[in-house]
Amino acid sequence: MKKKTGALAALTLSASLALAGCGSGGKESGNANANNGQGDGKEKVTLSLWHNYTGDDQRAKTMRAIVEQYQKDHPNVELDIQAIPPDGYRTRLKTVAAANEMPDLFVMWPGVMTKEFQAGDLIQPINELLDSKTEWKNNFLPGSFDGFTIGSDIYSAPIALSPTSILYYNKSILDANGLQVPKTWDDLLKAVEVLKSKKITPIALGNKAAWLAQSSIFSSLADRVTGTEWFLKAASNDGAKFTDPEFVKALTYLQDLQKAGAFQDGFNALDNTQMEQYFAQGKAAMMIDGGWALTNLAATASQDAMSQMGAAVLPSIPGGKGDPNTLSGVVGTGLGMGKKVSGAKKQAAYDLLYAMAGPDAQKRVLESNQLVSYKVDLDKSKVTPIFAEVYALVNSVNRTPVYDGVLSSAVADEVNNGLQDLLMGGKPETIAKKIQDAQDKSTQSDKK
Amino acid sequence: MTSTGRARGFIAIALLPALLLFLFFVIVPIFWSAYYGFFDWKGIGSAKFIGFGNYAEVIHDPVFWRSFKNNMLIVAASVFGQVPIALVLALLLLRNAWIHKFIRTSVFMPMVLSSVVVGIIWGYIYHPEIGILNFLLDRLGLASWKRQWLSDPSVSMYSLMVPIIWNYIGPYLILFLAALQNIPSEMDDAAKIDGAQGSRKLFSITLPLIWDTIKVAVVLCISGSLKAFDLIYIMTGGGPAHSTELLASYMYNNTFSIYRFGYGSAVSTTIILISLVLIAGSQYLMKRDNR
Repeated sequence: MKKKTGALAALTLSASLALAGCGSGGKESGNANANNGQGDGKEKVTLSLWHNYTGDDQRAKTMRAIVEQYQKDHPNVELDIQAIPPDGYRTRLKTVAAANEMPDLFVMWPGVMTKEFQAGDLIQPINELLDSKTEWKNNFLPGSFDGFTIGSDIYSAPIALSPTSILYYNKSILDANGLQVPKTWDDLLKAVEVLKSKKITPIALGNKAAWLAQSSIFSSLADRVTGTEWFLKAASNDGAKFTDPEFVKALTYLQDLQKAGAFQDGFNALDNTQMEQYFAQGKAAMMIDGGWALTNLAATASQDAMSQMGAAVLPSIPGGKGDPNTLSGVVGTGLGMGKKVSGAKKQAAYDLLYAMAGPDAQKRVLESNQLVSYKVDLDKSKVTPIFAEVYALVNSVNRTPVYDGVLSSAVADEVNNGLQDLLMGGKPETIAKKIQDAQDKSTQSDKK
Repeated sequence: MTSTGRARGFIAIALLPALLLFLFFVIVPIFWSAYYGFFDWKGIGSAKFIGFGNYAEVIHDPVFWRSFKNNMLIVAASVFGQVPIALVLALLLLRNAWIHKFIRTSVFMPMVLSSVVVGIIWGYIYHPEIGILNFLLDRLGLASWKRQWLSDPSVSMYSLMVPIIWNYIGPYLILFLAALQNIPSEMDDAAKIDGAQGSRKLFSITLPLIWDTIKVAVVLCISGSLKAFDLIYIMTGGGPAHSTELLASYMYNNTFSIYRFGYGSAVSTTIILISLVLIAGSQYLMKRDNR
């Protein structure tokens, strides 16, 4: 029995350990096998590509079509494609990164991820490609490359723009209750009160995955209260702390909104998609969500429902230090290139990168109801009306940082959990303290 | 002597492949992981040796202890829920009439479903908007009993216990049925002659004869509960705000969501130690004199 016990215990834990060990399902990136003597005289090249365009939304379909087209046009390039659903994508990528087995080209996030990969010496800059096509490079919106730039090296070009905190509203519900789109915090609280008295959910929220309240509501709300400068200081531990009164005040605002009954019951048990459906079905008057909602709405909501939707920025906060006419947002993902890519393979990779992020691709992506960080004239007949409205909105306001785009993963995780706690009635001061503790720990371990 | 020696040699050779695989994929990683626990490592780049820093942090981490407490609730629910229910069902379903077979099959059913499916089914049952549980309570005039089953920290752990118990009764039922069928019928006859019946027979004859099986079931139960992950991950992800975090989900989140590979390894090593202690403890408590 004793032996059995030991073995059983070992078995039990093997599962937890196996998690740490496996998951590197990525194939060893094929080396450029110099297989000369093919009919076209070109060198045969194998290129591995990892992406997360697996969904049924229009953007994903467009990207897959672009890759297929590339494959047809380049018979000498053999693509080894791993399409990984978005939820698991980051984890898979991080796992191969830990094993130093990066794919040749892969969807990569700006900011923290780019920095980490660069620090791990896993990626190479694409300045050469950008400089050879200056017209393309210059057509990106200002600040597009910031998150992908380290020193003078640029590591990717974005294929998306993600404003994270758009206030979507249902025109007919607001009209029916004699309400305007809230411009100030008081307007918002009043709208909540009116809607609640009529048993209509004021704001749809799905915060099960915990990042939504942070990314969509809090990043903008806190910026309104504290100003961008304060946040960047606090994030770099430079003369501001998350225990400062302005941050606690920002937390209190969010909690007040919840206490006023702005969100439907069980918001911590719904996910982002369910929240979008809830709003699209006309069950809530408003929803605070990112630009990513547009592709989902275009794919699932009815024409009728979409014609009722409008978009605005979050209301202003009285006495707030931030510019109220802003949206928090990040430049979206681009393609990163693994360090080991070279020679003929590198040329093929550049071609594919340009095919997927070049002017044509940017236009097609925009027409798939996905915002891009690139100057394109939008043909409104090709997109949904709500998309056109958001497009106009995004181009008329400034962009402020998103919390998890700036903070390290550990601190962002603490903010996420802290906000869930806050929305369940946790004390703002305690939560602020925990966030600052995580921040201290994170900067400490960076310095060591 | 030589023949037993040869047999032993054969046994060793036959066991070798499985043993090697087991060593390589189970035993070695345990030590490996314990070793990683000594480093501050983000998964990328260089790892820094920090001695017992991670282990000290585990001990002082309130979220770890919260996960531990939640996990103990799950262990208790499994040991005192799954095992007795399975045992009672096994005693009732020993006969082979079609109705017994039918019930046995239905109890075993959840076991063949993927836990993702089970998690999603129960997620819908508890769903705050379209959940059938709240709907039924409404219809039965028990609206005041309605809860946010998965997001209210005062009930969420108990809500999660139900699917966990429901899901895993099946295998224990089979285990107990097999043990009961192994009791020789002579014993029954002897008991009958001696006039042992009902509870007297149950406690003096049946239970002692399957005691070893019950011990195995309890060990499986404890170890199974300590690695519980999938259902929780699907239904709540450990949230909101860590309120349904278990040891395994806490380890997973630290390792793969915030990329503290070193700390995650230290947590998983601690889980090993905890489960060894628990299993040894339960075996000690259930020890019976075999005189």
